[in-house]
Amino acid sequence: MAKYYLRLAHLYGDLLNTYSDVGNIIALRYYAKQMNADIAVEVISIDNQFNPNDFDLALFGGGQDYEQLVVSRDLPNKKDGLARFINDNKPMLAICGGYQLLGHYYIGANGEKIPGLGILDHYTLSQDNNRFIGDITIKNPETGQEYHGFENHNGRTFLGKDEQPLGMVVTGHGNNGEDHTEGAIYKSTYCSYFHGPILTRNGEIAKTLLLRALKNKYPDADFSNQEALKVKPTF
Amino acid sequence: MSIRSSFAEFAGRSSYWFLHTFMHGGSSLPGKLTLKLDPNILQSFSQKYDLVIITGTNGKTLTTALSVRVLREKYDQVLTNPTGSNMEQGIVTTFITAPRAKKKGLAVLEVDEANVPIVCRYITPKAFVFTNIFRDQMDRYGEIYTTYKKILRGVKLAPKATIIANGDEQLFHSKDLPNPIIYYGFNHEHHPAFNAPANTDGLLCPKCQHILRYHMRTYAGLGDYFCPHCGFKRPELTYSVTKLDKLTPTNSTFEIDGHQYTIGIGGLYNIYNALAAYSLGRFMGVAPEQIKHAFESDERVFGRQEIINVDGKQVTIILVKNPVGLNQVLDMIETDPQPFSFAFLLNANYADGIDTSWIWDGNFEKLATHQIPQYMTGGERYKDITTRLTMAGIDNVWHEPDLTKVVDKIKQMPTKHVYILASYTAMLQLRKLLAEKEYIKKGGMD
Repeated sequence: MAKYYLRLAHLYGDLLNTYSDVGNIIALRYYAKQMNADIAVEVISIDNQFNPNDFDLALFGGGQDYEQLVVSRDLPNKKDGLARFINDNKPMLAICGGYQLLGHYYIGANGEKIPGLGILDHYTLSQDNNRFIGDITIKNPETGQEYHGFENHNGRTFLGKDEQPLGMVVTGHGNNGEDHTEGAIYKSTYCSYFHGPILTRNGEIAKTLLLRALKNKYPDADFSNQEALKVKPTF
Repeated sequence: MSIRSSFAEFAGRSSYWFLHTFMHGGSSLPGKLTLKLDPNILQSFSQKYDLVIITGTNGKTLTTALSVRVLREKYDQVLTNPTGSNMEQGIVTTFITAPRAKKKGLAVLEVDEANVPIVCRYITPKAFVFTNIFRDQMDRYGEIYTTYKKILRGVKLAPKATIIANGDEQLFHSKDLPNPIIYYGFNHEHHPAFNAPANTDGLLCPKCQHILRYHMRTYAGLGDYFCPHCGFKRPELTYSVTKLDKLTPTNSTFEIDGHQYTIGIGGLYNIYNALAAYSLGRFMGVAPEQIKHAFESDERVFGRQEIINVDGKQVTIILVKNPVGLNQVLDMIETDPQPFSFAFLLNANYADGIDTSWIWDGNFEKLATHQIPQYMTGGERYKDITTRLTMAGIDNVWHEPDLTKVVDKIKQMPTKHVYILASYTAMLQLRKLLAEKEYIKKGGMD
């Protein structure tokens, strides 16, 4: 039994599971163990309520067009809870479709505008007969950390003014192929198009999310050992 | 047959003879040449053959091979295409190089999903066999629904053809079609209602978009599904597996409709392939005893999982290309009663899938519960697969990025049984090395 205990909401984990996002949970558990923490995972899907008080972490993955459309119709039921979770500075990782759905809207496969949650201030356009596919490397200007991933998306996402990019593109396409940004950070919500999955190759991001969750939940505990954890390169 | 078709066929046959005799090759080029000369060439074969199309994501090749064996119990002339020749050019080559028949023959063809409408445009099939539809990591942006729609474009051109479909696959029950449909599936267990694991593809009810539940699940989303919201459920099965008797990595004994059969290959997924071949056989009038004879008379049909002797080690090399297949392979090797070592060779070339994320859908955690004395990772992306094993709690791993050294490492494995899972190009590279060292025959890939 670990000393600390975190509860993770896997948002629509039974519908948004196309891109091996489950690997991010495996990575979170792997690093959590090294930080003396256990993680309990619960899938929150259509027909379930999302209560932000029940969770310390959230993962919002990507899926096929059809499943994402079904998810988008269910989002209004969870909007208030998710907004509170995010604005309370609770850590969330949103990948690909999940990233797009946190924003105002994205354009579906048939050109239709699919509304998102609008909790984050970005929007996503499409591109004709093209996808950004391939290995990608970005660098976060503040931390200097480099992140490695695999991108595979048709959407072109444009960030709002309250959002910072996860990194600037070193090689690859990034959010939209134009402004050299990739992903988004808003409070403790981390968004990206990275597969790989992202946390399996970039343990530093997993560490950041876990530290945030631990400090939120155990405000009086001393996490200096956890902060000192060395993340070994895996890629 | 028109003069144009005759000439095109002649040209194709000649080029095949030339390539085959002098170049030891030639499977798609003759078809390509023939198609150039006569784009409608396939039509000219519609009078000469009754056609059965076998398609789906996994299991096409073995289902086709088994079906041919089953049908040859009753029919004299059964034509089929070799593995990998399942697109238009390869299919044309198959027809033009077939021995000339005096009476109408039967063609049982494995057809790539996207090529089903192309073939149906020229030849109206008598029957379709659908195996399953899973996400293939090769083209993950092609969704399972899109894949099924492609197949249906072909079905639309043959509304009278009988569909023999896997009833455990909800997609095959999701659209109303005018065709006669025969469903096959598993009926060996019945449990109180439960949910499939979250990380399963295609769990939405196609009628009302709620999450499907199950009374029995074999693997992935396959099983006795139902929708608790609208009542949509698995259709009645005409042929079903009623009992699983004994499963090992090399043999499966099971019952279809109460009769026992054995096939010389492991893996639950291969029982589906046998069931599909059985169902087609029964539809075509082959008797159960004849089918039993076809399954059990010659094991070479299961050649894909040959065991290679490497200086006393019994090495099984298994191609893995998508999460569903990977998990089935992990399930299968787990049935080995002997201790074994485990290797995974991962490349990320186009033919392997350039995104290696899919390995994270593999349930390697289950391996950690076995006493596997030695693991090995290799290939260009050995780091990715090593990380996967590490995060599954596995740490006794040799790393061998250089595949040329893998063969020596195999010999040092502490167990007699060694399983090597490999992505496509890694498998080809390893087989080439084994051929150079004469552990297998050169060019031994089908």
